Amino acid sequence: MAFNSEAAMSAKAKRMLNKAQESSKLDVDEYQDQSPGEVLSRDDINRMAVRSLALQASFNYERMQAAGWLYGLNPALRKIHKNDTDMSRSMQLHMEFFNTHPFLVSFIMGVVLAMERSKERLSVIRAIKVAMMGPLGGIGDALFWLTLLPICAALGVSLAMEGSVLGPILFLVLFNAVHFGLRFGLAHYGYNAGSRAISALKEHTQKFSHAATIVGLTVVGGLIATFVRLQMTAVVEVGKASISLQEDLFDPIMPKLLPLAFTMMIFYFVKKGVSPLKIIGGIVTMGLAGSYFGVL
Amino acid sequence: MLFEALMIAILAGVAGVDLFNGLTHIHRPIITGPIVGLILGDLEMGLITGASLELVWMGMAPLAGAQPPNVVIGGIIGVAFAILTQAEPQAAIGVAVPFAVAVQGLITLLFTAMSPMMHRCDELAEKADWKGIDKINYLAIGVLFSFYFILAFLPIYFGAEQAKVVVEVAPQWVMNGLGVAGGLMPAIGFAMLMKIMFKQNYIPYFIAGFLAAAYLELPVIAIALVGIAIAMADYFKSQQTVTQATVQAGDVNDGI
Repeated sequence: MAFNSEAAMSAKAKRMLNKAQESSKLDVDEYQDQSPGEVLSRDDINRMAVRSLALQASFNYERMQAAGWLYGLNPALRKIHKNDTDMSRSMQLHMEFFNTHPFLVSFIMGVVLAMERSKERLSVIRAIKVAMMGPLGGIGDALFWLTLLPICAALGVSLAMEGSVLGPILFLVLFNAVHFGLRFGLAHYGYNAGSRAISALKEHTQKFSHAATIVGLTVVGGLIATFVRLQMTAVVEVGKASISLQEDLFDPIMPKLLPLAFTMMIFYFVKKGVSPLKIIGGIVTMGLAGSYFGVL
Repeated sequence: MLFEALMIAILAGVAGVDLFNGLTHIHRPIITGPIVGLILGDLEMGLITGASLELVWMGMAPLAGAQPPNVVIGGIIGVAFAILTQAEPQAAIGVAVPFAVAVQGLITLLFTAMSPMMHRCDELAEKADWKGIDKINYLAIGVLFSFYFILAFLPIYFGAEQAKVVVEVAPQWVMNGLGVAGGLMPAIGFAMLMKIMFKQNYIPYFIAGFLAAAYLELPVIAIALVGIAIAMADYFKSQQTVTQATVQAGDVNDGI
């Protein structure tokens, strides 16, 4: 992640590698058959990309996505490793702890299959795999959860609120055009570039997260003003004049001042580590109390 | 009611699978809302309630893998109850959030319960039985489907009548208060997004985005496009610096 320092990132990668090794059952480091495996066709890679959709089918706290990850690789691995000993070694390697972003995983799958085909040492494949998990998780969060989803949802919502079914349709089409474009594109790119993709990834991670963060934070600023609703309904009587707090006090300072202030307050709590559940509870209480006393 | 409850439960099962697998995002309230609306015969209410719940969950994504309150059950149950009790769209949040939070807890249990299965997978891997691994994954998808199917069916089939009574009895200020809370919920999602992105050097973009919406009242798509334009300008500028640096380095190395 571009948000972390190099040192923090390499420390994280080391932790992940340890975690993978702890769950390892392997005592060998090489494949028996050292001749390069069969070349994978475009269809094989597409099949892998389709299977990558089930990455989290068997998600659990012990190995996280390991079994789903192996599910994605299975048909291609069988094509590469014709003898059962090697297939078993490879499968055991890929049953080790694994966790990355569910959208960008097809990229790592492509790279790993290229390495499997050239029968790299198992420890090298593991190291590359683990080294890619973290950075891709970071880019994926920035790109999908923080940028693409809020933008598509905001578009869909503004149409749906007016009662138009175009809203949900637009949301689905936009989101999945990017989603499937990247999932299939990156699968092929990963396989064709092989381990060369790593240096490309390293080079582009920083720039990419940086760009996604610029777009993401610009949009979040806009979303706060558009979608957080907070209005004072209280009216203060001063002598004969009655002053509406919202229209006469807050609006002249800046429109959407209260939503911004409120979001910054929640941001402060989130940063302090208050659990989202407590915050939800607090907001409901605040809404009810505000409504009861007629201020909100 | 049985038929409708079953249809909604199937929708919940499919959406629940999509939340972790497929990720086409048909599981978001903006999609499940109108579908529940169609099933219960009020498309427009489903659309609008779904859209309001979408806002509540906007930004509540599984960042770094942490599970937020469950968007599938929250969205589906929220919309279903809003239509069944003929409450206002905003009141849906009062039903959606408690359910979503409860299911979030159950998901944790499910992920724990799936752990022992990994040892079965280890045995299969040792035997190079890749079809066996495939089957375990299909089975797990089946478990996910059933999990959501049951969690949506039970409250709708058995709870709709009671919920109607509760909503009729509830005073206006409670409904109004839930509406206010619903309007504030998106702030949680945005705050969580900011927790990751809000670094000093990005603050100007945040301010620009806010002002564009608050004063200029630009739609979100326009703000996103402006953001993309800024990001592109920034990228080209950094490319330029890199090229200059390479040119300088090249001069030393024989000017290649």
